[in-house]
Amino acid sequence: MFDADVIVIGSGGGGAVAAKELGEAGLKVLVLEAGPWYGNKQWANPNSERGGEWSSDYKDLDVGIYKKIFNAYENNMNDLVSGVFRFGPADRRRTPWHRVMRQKGEIWQLSGVGGTTQLYWSQSPRAFPLAVDNIWPISYRELIPYYEKAEATLPVQFAPTTPKEELFYYGAKKAGWPLIPTLNVTTPGYRPNPNAILPTNEHLMDQSYSLEQLSNMEGCTLKGNCVNGCTTGSSVDKIAKRSTLVSYVPLALKTGNVAIRPNSFVIKLLTAQDPKEGLRATGVQFRDTWTGEIGELTARTVVMAAGCIESPRLWLNSGLPYNEWVGRGLTNHCFDWVAGVFDEKDLMRIMGLPAVYPYAGHTSGARVDIPGTGIFQVSCLSPGLMSFLTYGFSEAGYDALNPPEPGAPWDIHGRVVGPQLKELMMNYSRTMSILILTDDETLYRNRVQVDPLLKDENGPIPIMYYTPSPKTLKRRDQLARYASETLKQAGARKIIRSDTPFGSMIHLESTMRMGYVTDTNCEAYQVRRLFIADNSVHFNGIGGPNPTLTTQALATRTAEKIVTKYFS
Amino acid sequence: MHPSAIYAATVDSHTFATFRALVEAIIPDSPVSATYSPELTAGAADLCIHEYMIWELDHSLSLVLGFGLTDIPLSCSTAGLLNVGAVHLAASRQLQHPPNPLLWESGPFTAISRNDRISVLAMLEQGNIDPGVLPPPYRNDLGFTRYMIDFLNRQTMFGNYSEWSAYGTTRLRTPTERRLEYFPVSWKQAEYPGVVPGYRALLGYMLTIERKGGESTIV
Repeated sequence: MFDADVIVIGSGGGGAVAAKELGEAGLKVLVLEAGPWYGNKQWANPNSERGGEWSSDYKDLDVGIYKKIFNAYENNMNDLVSGVFRFGPADRRRTPWHRVMRQKGEIWQLSGVGGTTQLYWSQSPRAFPLAVDNIWPISYRELIPYYEKAEATLPVQFAPTTPKEELFYYGAKKAGWPLIPTLNVTTPGYRPNPNAILPTNEHLMDQSYSLEQLSNMEGCTLKGNCVNGCTTGSSVDKIAKRSTLVSYVPLALKTGNVAIRPNSFVIKLLTAQDPKEGLRATGVQFRDTWTGEIGELTARTVVMAAGCIESPRLWLNSGLPYNEWVGRGLTNHCFDWVAGVFDEKDLMRIMGLPAVYPYAGHTSGARVDIPGTGIFQVSCLSPGLMSFLTYGFSEAGYDALNPPEPGAPWDIHGRVVGPQLKELMMNYSRTMSILILTDDETLYRNRVQVDPLLKDENGPIPIMYYTPSPKTLKRRDQLARYASETLKQAGARKIIRSDTPFGSMIHLESTMRMGYVTDTNCEAYQVRRLFIADNSVHFNGIGGPNPTLTTQALATRTAEKIVTKYFS
Repeated sequence: MHPSAIYAATVDSHTFATFRALVEAIIPDSPVSATYSPELTAGAADLCIHEYMIWELDHSLSLVLGFGLTDIPLSCSTAGLLNVGAVHLAASRQLQHPPNPLLWESGPFTAISRNDRISVLAMLEQGNIDPGVLPPPYRNDLGFTRYMIDFLNRQTMFGNYSEWSAYGTTRLRTPTERRLEYFPVSWKQAEYPGVVPGYRALLGYMLTIERKGGESTIV
């Protein structure tokens, strides 16, 4: 007898989708999540008390608890050591879970129900067809119906225009980019971001509604806290920014077939030799992060959606068969970050406004897509996050000790410290920043391994290695030039290129690649009934677009394949 | 007494002074001029960001050692790293300004000028030092050293320009027990309005997806 039809490991961008789809198909699903659950009656104080064990009831969701925790203050929310959002145990008295990085960088990943989508900026573009067709083992056309289903479920909508988007469009148009009104991007151009954010509240511009009132109604209020944890909405499942915590998880609970256990770190995949199937997954061993107790659960199938680092770690720590590609082929869009500082008088002339208002609107609302090269998207953050991403986080070292080469399109290249930093930060409200996502070449050497010596309570810990190829760096440099040009055309007086460290890991992908580790159903070649439903199963970095929607489309498809193959 | 208050009292004075020297080099106080109010001149040391950095480094790492999970505080060894770097810079005659002899004994990094402190960070970051002379866990590990130098820069900025300093007397408590006591000074410096329920900033929509009967069109 099994405990469930399916066990899902992880409840982030992919796992929550698989759980909801499988629950809707009538299967009994158990989800194990390493981190806390925010906004559930079973865990009224999730960061300081153990609370309950399981929740399977939609009525357990509690927007009061959710809003009390998600207060949008950036140090409280986003501090990767001690914040509400971190990769670590729910108990905030304890340290985060460590990964070994012997290079500059930071892994922006979260534990908790909703996973990293709790703070993602909700960009939900499709892959570039150019990066899928004749490269992936499946075609772009094969993905389209699943993209449509995920887009309708979240739902995805083009971002509204606020001052920073208006300025971005103005610059992009002047730089010669055409508008591309499409979801299937085959030619370069600019467009609003397809974002998983509810449309703006229809009463937002009506002064007879107070902003306080509006923030407790349905619809985005442009409060600019996507990255700090969105709190606009009337109930948990109506929160404006559609993290899976507020989109797919409530839908999964509504099926009546899904139970989720937070604070449960899966440390081992259980397998058995089946006379017909050979080696097959039979369940998991997990550790309660509050009590340290080890539990075991069994199921007919297992879906691994622990993320690009933990999925390969779990495979390796479970002693599963050797596969040279497990943990290999890591891509991360080799980010860069370019910012432009504007003069008030120029902004008045262009927009009739004295500032860029980087804190208003979606965290990121507009982009230029360039298939074959990558993307640059306007992305503005709260001051603490903005200060370090713009001035404190660099592969290039200190600007003052190593100024830009003559003729470079940027005035500053690398870190800024001292009086100059303070001066620049006084211009925060007149600064527009742009995130660069590179079409990152997939290389065998870029990888996640486990340390032969170092362990935490969950087993040998991951080590990260990532060095971009010359081709990736060339594309990244080209994108930084395009972004600088758009800022200059928009009227920026000073351009800063951060030269973000290569180890900045937000869009991790392709460490358990389809075609190498799994078949086209996302089932592991060497372990039957073990499916993968996170970014790790991508064949490559999808050409640069933000990866979540592709994972959600694939997870929708994988759920269908599981039902067809094992439960029909 | 709250554990965090006890913790704050246990940090040794060398570590404290070294981190103070670090954060004031990265975000100095500006000279008071007629154009700026005193609040606008406050630097990272005025906002106690050195305490934040020490707290962060002492609460960031646990590994299984011997019988169980052990917290590994990193602030003291990281202060040691900066001081070894300062000695190396002085010994190799690369200081731009003579160090303050009164402070040299207690901590070379605090005794050198702000610009020289940044040169120490750059030297460690570039690995222009014999990795065998660095204190553990940095000894013979230039990769981890490089990671840490980057962390020291960005986390100082994140601590300074986030709301952390406004937790005032509760700033060193466990995060769930901190309380905001005033509006963050650094947010005033950046002209950030703080956390608000929304902005009436809608200028329209460039494109819209319309979904009907399973079909979607873009208008």
